Amino acid sequence: MINFGFSISKPRAIDIDRNNLRKSSEITREMPELQSCIGCGSCTATCTAGNLTEFNFRKVHTLVRRGEYQGAYEEMNKCMLCGKCRLVCPRGINTRGVVMLIKRKLGDF
Amino acid sequence: MEISDMTFFASFCIPFIAGASIMFAVIAVKYISWLRNLPRKDWRLIAKGVFSMSTLRALWEVVRESLLHRRIFKVDARLGYMHMSLAFGWFLLIAVGWAETVAYLGFQWVPLQGHVFFKYFVPLNGITAHKPVFDFAMDFLLLFVLSGVAMAWLKRLRSRALGMRKTTNHILFDRVALSALWFVFPLRLLAESVTAAIYGGGSFLTGGLGRLLDSVMGEGALGYAYEPLWWMYSLALGIFFVAMPFSRYMHIFTEIPLIFLRHYRLRPEAMEKSYDNFEVEACSRCGICIDPCQLQSQLGINEVQSVYFLRDRRYNMLQQKIANNCLMCGRCEQVCPVGINLNTLRLNSRSSMRNIPHEGRYNYLRGVDRSLGEGRVGYFAGCMTLLTPNTMSSMKRIFEAAGEEVWWADKEGGACCGRPLMLSGEVDSARKMVEYNKSLFAKHGITTLVTSCPICLKVFREEYHLEGVEVLHHSEYILRLMEQGRLNVGREQGATFTYHDPCELGRGSGIYDEPRAVIEAVGELLEPEHTRHDALCCGSSVANTAISDAQQLKIAQGVASQLEETGAQTIVTACPLCKKAIARGATRQVADLSEIVARCIK
Repeated sequence: MINFGFSISKPRAIDIDRNNLRKSSEITREMPELQSCIGCGSCTATCTAGNLTEFNFRKVHTLVRRGEYQGAYEEMNKCMLCGKCRLVCPRGINTRGVVMLIKRKLGDF
Repeated sequence: MEISDMTFFASFCIPFIAGASIMFAVIAVKYISWLRNLPRKDWRLIAKGVFSMSTLRALWEVVRESLLHRRIFKVDARLGYMHMSLAFGWFLLIAVGWAETVAYLGFQWVPLQGHVFFKYFVPLNGITAHKPVFDFAMDFLLLFVLSGVAMAWLKRLRSRALGMRKTTNHILFDRVALSALWFVFPLRLLAESVTAAIYGGGSFLTGGLGRLLDSVMGEGALGYAYEPLWWMYSLALGIFFVAMPFSRYMHIFTEIPLIFLRHYRLRPEAMEKSYDNFEVEACSRCGICIDPCQLQSQLGINEVQSVYFLRDRRYNMLQQKIANNCLMCGRCEQVCPVGINLNTLRLNSRSSMRNIPHEGRYNYLRGVDRSLGEGRVGYFAGCMTLLTPNTMSSMKRIFEAAGEEVWWADKEGGACCGRPLMLSGEVDSARKMVEYNKSLFAKHGITTLVTSCPICLKVFREEYHLEGVEVLHHSEYILRLMEQGRLNVGREQGATFTYHDPCELGRGSGIYDEPRAVIEAVGELLEPEHTRHDALCCGSSVANTAISDAQQLKIAQGVASQLEETGAQTIVTACPLCKKAIARGATRQVADLSEIVARCIK
């Protein structure tokens, strides 16, 4: 196959009714502003860690909010907490707070 | 009468004796366990320092700070007087009281209550010859302490009268101890006055009040009040002593060993250790740290200040949201009269409250090198500078004008310096960044490291231990280029600037003069109201992960408005994060130091 430098994700569906949303709702309760995310991806675009590896903050926090916790904690630990994402977020979300909250809540997953 | 025949005991002494015994026992247990748990390294420091000049210097500081409270005088003279009259006054009452018993009885052993309630035991033991000099001295000292108590009452009602915008909100237990302490001295006054009225003695205060009570109440009533008053005085002392080691008043004794240990170079570190107990319990909860806190003054947040943080930590009820809600601007540390390392303690609390993630989480850093160029001078822009491209391009022009060969460490992306992780208590994570960046610096053989970010600067200087590499902030570097004649700048005619001291650069790294010298080379500098050590925080500090965007903006607006009050055309700062934060709250141009220099290059 020709290598285009990117690939297509495997098709999958997230069934929110089946996922356990307890942690997710705890997170959005403590950090309600996370729900105002418009998914613009500015955080990921400026991310220091994302520049060096495939860490994607938008993807991780979006999956976590949908109850997809698998691997989220390990992913989030790649963050260097430098705070660029917070400076560029058009919704003014406290992204560093979100990183620390997700790490705290999902630490035992 | 021979002293062996004298009695120095009455039943009213029991509360005092019991209270004092409990207090000394609890304090002894606390100190012994803290000292025993000191790490070996700290013990070596103590052994090294104890027979040196440090001990004498510590002793002098104890006199200055534990008794005279010089640092509180610097905050406000009225407040200083209040603390001094209570501490130094009480100390003198004890010392002169001891001298008084010696004057009456000679150098003989008298039990503790015999000293404390000496005025009661004088007539009891049939001593009739009074010593007016001591009567006067003791009355004078009692008045001195009472004036402090009166001011303490006033401070509770109206803290502004003593120069404090806001004072500490105490928990119930502290209020009990506080009330007991407030009653100790008025009750002593009454007990001694009644004694003077019945048995003579007393000077202008106790004697005078005694005569007044005598004329109002009559001899019979005074006789009834006599014993109960001594009982109440003893009870107030007893209650205070029992409460003391568990309340804020633990600071009275703890500040003394703390001063000695500090002179032996013991310091709190990134991880909690036994020494921290001395710092935590030396906090008197005076509340001087509250007024400078912008989270209080700008946002009205009232439960996160250092005084409350230390209290919660001491009683093991510290919550993460309290520990995390701090800008670490260091304004409180600057005024703390006990000199507690508030930021370090908060950081090691944060560190203790986190979970430890997987070792390999930053393995992706291995072998990454996107640096550009060659040169002995390395430029580490820092994450935040990468978001302020004007600073980057200005630095580029300055390097070119000075003919400097530069190695660009992170222009195309690099790792963070590690300081933000440290500020969140993730010291082990930060170590990974430190190791990575250090290996990068070593690989490229730089001898000077310039950074535009004070956050990076602080961690480079304090945690990187870069042997053979000089670490400079760009303000220092630019000034050096100017002084060496490698960078010629012209003055902008009529240009006025005001300068915002970034916390990490000013209070954090002690760099105040260099940026000012650079600004004065290109234009006129106008100082804002809060400047240098007292400079405000921009509000966007990476140390705070608790406040919202709107709250950050509000702090920034407060800072921007006091900078604009200077009337300067341009607000200058030397930190990319401060620049971004203040620009959001300002109506005037906000520029980095490098920008105003770059546009004046001849």
